Amino acid sequence: MAFDWNIFFEALTSPTFIRGAGLTISLAAAAQAAAIVLGLGVALLRRSPLPPLRWAAATYVWLFRAVPTLLQLLFVWNALPQLVPSLRDPWFSPFLAAFVALAVNESAYMAEIIRAGLAAVDRGQTLAGKTLGLSQAQVFRLVVLPQTIRVIIPPTGNEFITLLKLTSLASVISLRELLTVTSQTVAVNFRFAELYGAATVWYLAIVSVFMVLQGQLERRYRWASTDEPGRRGAPAAPDIATTNR
Amino acid sequence: MTAATVAIEAREIAKRYGALEVLRGVSMEVAAGQVKVVVGPSGSGKSTLLRCLGLLEPIEGGSVVVEGQEVAWRGGGRGKGGIEERRLTALRSQVCMVFQQFNLFPHMTALDNVMVGPLHVRHMPRAQAREQAMALLERVRLGDKARRYPHELSGGQQQRVAIARVLALRPKVMLFDEPTSALDPELVREVVDVMEELARDGMTMVVVSHEMRFAREAANAVVMMDEGRIVEEAPPERFFTAPTEERTRRFLQMVER
Repeated sequence: MAFDWNIFFEALTSPTFIRGAGLTISLAAAAQAAAIVLGLGVALLRRSPLPPLRWAAATYVWLFRAVPTLLQLLFVWNALPQLVPSLRDPWFSPFLAAFVALAVNESAYMAEIIRAGLAAVDRGQTLAGKTLGLSQAQVFRLVVLPQTIRVIIPPTGNEFITLLKLTSLASVISLRELLTVTSQTVAVNFRFAELYGAATVWYLAIVSVFMVLQGQLERRYRWASTDEPGRRGAPAAPDIATTNR
Repeated sequence: MTAATVAIEAREIAKRYGALEVLRGVSMEVAAGQVKVVVGPSGSGKSTLLRCLGLLEPIEGGSVVVEGQEVAWRGGGRGKGGIEERRLTALRSQVCMVFQQFNLFPHMTALDNVMVGPLHVRHMPRAQAREQAMALLERVRLGDKARRYPHELSGGQQQRVAIARVLALRPKVMLFDEPTSALDPELVREVVDVMEELARDGMTMVVVSHEMRFAREAANAVVMMDEGRIVEEAPPERFFTAPTEERTRRFLQMVER
């Protein structure tokens, strides 16, 4: 059975695949955005002067990193509605369940990345902000945060790509994302090579577009005057550990 | 000097890091317009004293008097010693520090660094802050570097931007923590020149430095510190030629080769 290019291109451009890819992108983007916000909160709690808050944040990170993502997804979709009756209503869609599970799971990893990013900002920066009379909140917003963002862009990019692929786990809760629609189509016509090929191309395309966006963001955080093209930008940000799942 | 108003005063400041007593009851007065240079061996508490004067560190005993307000900021847990964070913040912008490592904000151009205080602390309109920042950069002879980021500047240039950044707030007192120690020898002069100009213009300054030339030419008084105490204080001519304390004499022999 030779590779049928017609079937491949038909699948690649079919509304089903396009919708599946759209769902994959929106789920990953929404979960990543929520994870950054949650992760920042957890990272700040880990630096709290109050021990109970630090412990709570450390427990959060421990729990959501230790339990397999698939199990967390199944828990949110199957177990939570048994515990919380209002979640049995139709508004609690597979998308919402996948969003909650992935956002919480990812936020544990983001918390560690942001914690490392905050720690990478020199203490002298905070002192300099304080001596100018900036408030604690201003020091954080104007001085610490921009320097943290610069450091966490590359590992966060890694995380997003991982998350994009983790959305395929949501096929187990019948979310019609890219891998689900591929499997469903395969079940009808058995053209594995063509359809898996089409899905592969979609994942490659999404990641490529994202990598271009990340490159632009990194350039914005290079902090070099534009009238000096030869410059390489501010000294490289310190490396911080990235996760791989 | 007796009639002059006191710009900043240390009253019996005690400071410790864990078991280590860094300051053991340090008292010092700096009159408005006066320049005081603090010298002493490393670990004598000079830089710590400066950070306490700048209200950047809580203290275990004593107080700092700034703008006629006595501040006894106590650390430890959440206790602020009855001082509101807001009041501390407001007073800090009156006693600004210039650091050994410059500590410019790397994500801002020289101009933006100088504009931070006026914009966000003094709530000055942007156009006015910009104009003032340009004028200050001209004053430290860096008008052509306004659009450069800190890493594109030499150490001496960065330190002059840092001085302009503080000047933009029009503080009552400027604190200098070894401002030339991190500089290559050929860059020290350009920073000291700017500091001497400030002294001539009547800025109140407390300077921790081993630039003896600056101490001789610009200081009203030189303070010798050792083991968390002030050992001796004298006008520069007497301090360098006829110090009364044995400890000062030994220190001067060390630094003056």
